[in-house]
Amino acid sequence: MQRPGNLRLFRRGPPTEFVLTVLVIISLALLIVDANWKTLNPFRQAVSIAIYPFQRAVMFPRDAVLTINDWLNAAAAAKSEDEALQKQRIELAQLSTHAAQLGTENAQLKRLLGVFDKLVAQPSVVVEVLYEPANAFNRRLVFNKGSNAGIAPGMPVIDEGGVVGQIVRVTPMTSEAAVLTDEVVSIPVQLLRNGLRLIAFGSNTPGKVEVRYFASDADIRDGDVMVTSGVGGVFPPGLSVARVDKVDRDSTSGFARAEGQPSSHPERYRHFLVLLVPVDGNETPVSNPAVVPSSASPTSQTNRSEGPNAQPKLK
Amino acid sequence: MRSQSSSSTRSRATQPPVPRPQTVRPDPLENLTNPRFLWGTLVLVWVFSLLPWRAWPYAPDILLLVISLWCVYDSNRVGLITAFVFGLLMDVHDAGPLGQHALTYTLMAYGARVSHRRLLRFELWGQCLHMLPVFIASSMIGTLICAWVAGAWPGWSWLVSAIFTGLLWPCIGWLLLIPQRRRADVEVNSV
Repeated sequence: MQRPGNLRLFRRGPPTEFVLTVLVIISLALLIVDANWKTLNPFRQAVSIAIYPFQRAVMFPRDAVLTINDWLNAAAAAKSEDEALQKQRIELAQLSTHAAQLGTENAQLKRLLGVFDKLVAQPSVVVEVLYEPANAFNRRLVFNKGSNAGIAPGMPVIDEGGVVGQIVRVTPMTSEAAVLTDEVVSIPVQLLRNGLRLIAFGSNTPGKVEVRYFASDADIRDGDVMVTSGVGGVFPPGLSVARVDKVDRDSTSGFARAEGQPSSHPERYRHFLVLLVPVDGNETPVSNPAVVPSSASPTSQTNRSEGPNAQPKLK
Repeated sequence: MRSQSSSSTRSRATQPPVPRPQTVRPDPLENLTNPRFLWGTLVLVWVFSLLPWRAWPYAPDILLLVISLWCVYDSNRVGLITAFVFGLLMDVHDAGPLGQHALTYTLMAYGARVSHRRLLRFELWGQCLHMLPVFIASSMIGTLICAWVAGAWPGWSWLVSAIFTGLLWPCIGWLLLIPQRRRADVEVNSV
């Protein structure tokens, strides 16, 4: 009846309390090191490469359903998209003539002032959301392409509404982006109305970005649109970031802070664009032959905006 | 002497001749699971946890539940180290603070392990009541330490999630113990 292998008169191995203490100390050390330094990134990378096949395998049914659904709906989607685009085209036609006018005028003025602004088409990669990590402490998205596609930490992620976030970690097959409402992201912005330069951070209020530490009499009000200023060189200038919807002026500290609603929608679609800008430690970011020439050409060193306030300072 | 024996025969006549089957219940401490089934369920539940349903902030942590169930029902095979490793895997998948799940899972496994002899004398609902505070305490410690390290309070969703996890103990336990119960039935019938 009694199986001999399970007959244990004495406890073997170290006592449970000892194991508990060791593991708790390891966990605490991991937590503290991970919160403050990047030492653990290789370990994280190795583990995520190991679990990647499982993630893909388990998401395969979902991906298959989505693909089939896309196929079946392709005609209807194309039609409705076409209608929307027609409408948008008519609306934009007017705007574009106006913009073209302003553009020539601007170019002329810049020529007069001797300021050059080379517009180089930014190489980019389309990525799809692999999954959205369930995590109460930060807001992240995991994409289905990684360093094999030329993605490196620090690159901006955009959608049609503007900046979505920034890549923070990559593995060869996946990349992880911090959404712009995440605490770790800071974006140099300026107000479209008056050009006031600020830095937008992720906010404690979920789904908002905030700007802080500016003088309480600064000219910022509800409805102001923040766009990237291009300072720092990581985010190209002119991408829409957020619309200010709350301004707190604290007369005791002399500083003010404002909150804004992001203009992009990280929670809505599955496809985003990663801009392959040169970032720290990644001077040749592109392995894709189709986009190599633009980054390898000498103009790549000067493809940042060379406006009066642009500094090649990398984050 | 005579009266004693007569009373004993009378009592024997009133009682059934054979003890009832319920009293022959096998000792729960001797019930051991097939290791293949055990590790199979663990890996299956882990893979299931990689799916996006956990994005709901109040989603119960089924992996934690299954690990602690096995810590109670098969404490020789599943222990703190298993819990820690699965916790690390979840941390990497969730892209959160590295060590949060590892800490919570280790504490939970310890809570299940120290009380497993006592718990096995209870039915699943009794175990559920015992384990609910352990689920809440381990999640609370994990969340508090992470909140301290990250410098941000994540809200109370972890509490609801821990309560859901604890309340699922009887359901998941019933499912996982099907093979054991079947074997116990066979043994009772063979007597």
